[in-house]
Amino acid sequence: MMLHLLNRSPQFDGIYWDLSEAFGAEDHLLLIEDACYAALPAAAASLAAFGGRVSVLSEDAASRGLLDRLSDGVTVVDMAGFVALTATFPRSLSWF
Amino acid sequence: MTDDETAPAADTQPISLDLLVILRHPPHGSSWLREGVDVALVAAAFGQAVGLLFQGDGVFALVEGQGAGPLGQKGTHAQLAMLEMYDIERLWVSASALRARGLTLADLALPALALEADEIDHLVHAQPRTLLF
Repeated sequence: MMLHLLNRSPQFDGIYWDLSEAFGAEDHLLLIEDACYAALPAAAASLAAFGGRVSVLSEDAASRGLLDRLSDGVTVVDMAGFVALTATFPRSLSWF
Repeated sequence: MTDDETAPAADTQPISLDLLVILRHPPHGSSWLREGVDVALVAAAFGQAVGLLFQGDGVFALVEGQGAGPLGQKGTHAQLAMLEMYDIERLWVSASALRARGLTLADLALPALALEADEIDHLVHAQPRTLLF
């Protein structure tokens, strides 16, 4: 079980592919910073490999004007939720 | 790890290193690759069992025939040649990254093992510590 943190927008498709190769069946992906753009419906293809186990950080999505535009399949977590995720998963890996 | 997972390749499952370094950046354009290899060498110098996984443009780090930059910048090929001296002999590359770049294992300057996506998943999850560059 691993929590993957990603901060790159979907225009960097190589990192999404590399992450998908390392992504396990019990893993979770948290989109932060510019990766919030991957939570838009138009970018759904970039998240297809992650089996719906994807969250986006609400503070970062809000600052980019995205909160009302997010895909239904992406759960929204706030900073407290971020902390809870890091406590839930024994290990975290940051992709940047 | 769940019981119903299919058996991974024999080459990836039993290996638990002290440190896995994932390298995703190509040589010359930035210092990411150099810094990642430096970390691996330092860890190995302190007796840690270290392995390297090359993904994305990181596979270009292994391409045979690299040299210094046009202004004499050192590149990373000399650093990589030191891996064996530091007992860093476990080198893995993403098979899909090779394919996407028209490369095969024969194009690489060092012996490496190509892993498919499910094998990379198993490799990464078998390691207690992973650093990504």
